[in-house]
Amino acid sequence: MERARIWAGLLAFGMAAGVAAAQPPAGWLHVRVEESGAKAAKVSVNLPLSVVEVALKAAPETLEHKGRIKLGDDKHQMSLDDARRIWAELRKAGDMDFVTVDQGDEHVSVARKGELVLVHVNKAGQKAEEVSVEVPVDLVDAMLSGTGDEINLQAMLTQLQKRRGDIVRVKGDDANVRVWIDDQN
Amino acid sequence: MMMKIAAAVLAVPVAAVATIGATGVVVVDVREGGPQGHHIVVPMPLLAARAAAAFVPADKARLKLDPEAARHLPLAREAVEALAAAPDCELVRVEQQDELVVIRKEGQKLSVNVRSEREEVHVNVPLDMVLEVLPGPDGRFDPSAAVAALGSARFTDLVEVKSADGDRVKITVY
Repeated sequence: MERARIWAGLLAFGMAAGVAAAQPPAGWLHVRVEESGAKAAKVSVNLPLSVVEVALKAAPETLEHKGRIKLGDDKHQMSLDDARRIWAELRKAGDMDFVTVDQGDEHVSVARKGELVLVHVNKAGQKAEEVSVEVPVDLVDAMLSGTGDEINLQAMLTQLQKRRGDIVRVKGDDANVRVWIDDQN
Repeated sequence: MMMKIAAAVLAVPVAAVATIGATGVVVVDVREGGPQGHHIVVPMPLLAARAAAAFVPADKARLKLDPEAARHLPLAREAVEALAAAPDCELVRVEQQDELVVIRKEGQKLSVNVRSEREEVHVNVPLDMVLEVLPGPDGRFDPSAAVAALGSARFTDLVEVKSADGDRVKITVY
């Protein structure tokens, strides 16, 4: 009887450990904003992805309603179906520069490197700014996995749960912004 | 005989104090700055506050909510529950030249601290209370349950405000 209890205890412990090991570590979304100047503010936000997930549930209807990716002014918009078709082709191409625009003192590039889509915007001059966005290829897949004019937020979030590292970095003349995900609170 | 009478006389206040102590007391402590400043302490047994809250008319315990806001109430509840389940952490920190705002999740409380040249504000909000105060889809909330939720935050400074000129207001649940 005693031996049976010990085995039952060990089995229960092993199962609990197995369940704990099988669960992915809880991710945290971090946002840092550091302004420059005399009245500069530093803002730091740390949110568990579980809370972000709930907050994002409020968004799908808005995206579904508007449902279009805006490119420049209102006259030049791309439907999500068009974006899906273009992405399907680009995805097959592997590493490459998708877009490079040099206009005046502004340089924009969108490229794929491995499993990341890298967006860089460099603006020189008085209001110099450097924007760097890293989007995992799987995240774009997830975003465009909906149908019609829907962006699949749930699938995006599932991918974000797996993502660790920087998502957005902006270096501006008046503020630096960094958004990233890791396992630390 | 005298001992029995004394015991009987003492039993009532002792039982009352024990009941109040067991169910909790909210103490409002107001201290004015300066040598002539008043010091007012108002203890309010939670039991009495809960009984009083039960008499709040139904129409006063109903919020008129924008339909869009009402639609998102279940999500707000879910977000608070997710926050309650999350480990302790610093959720927000805003540092400015003369002001610091920190919002932390500590146990089952949300702690908000604001420090500026003019004043210091510390607020501890029990997450249980937030869940009780959040109205249902019809806009109704239960004031009595909200007061009762304070019982889960005993020995907590709910609010403490200190001004630069020495005024202080403190609300504590014991």
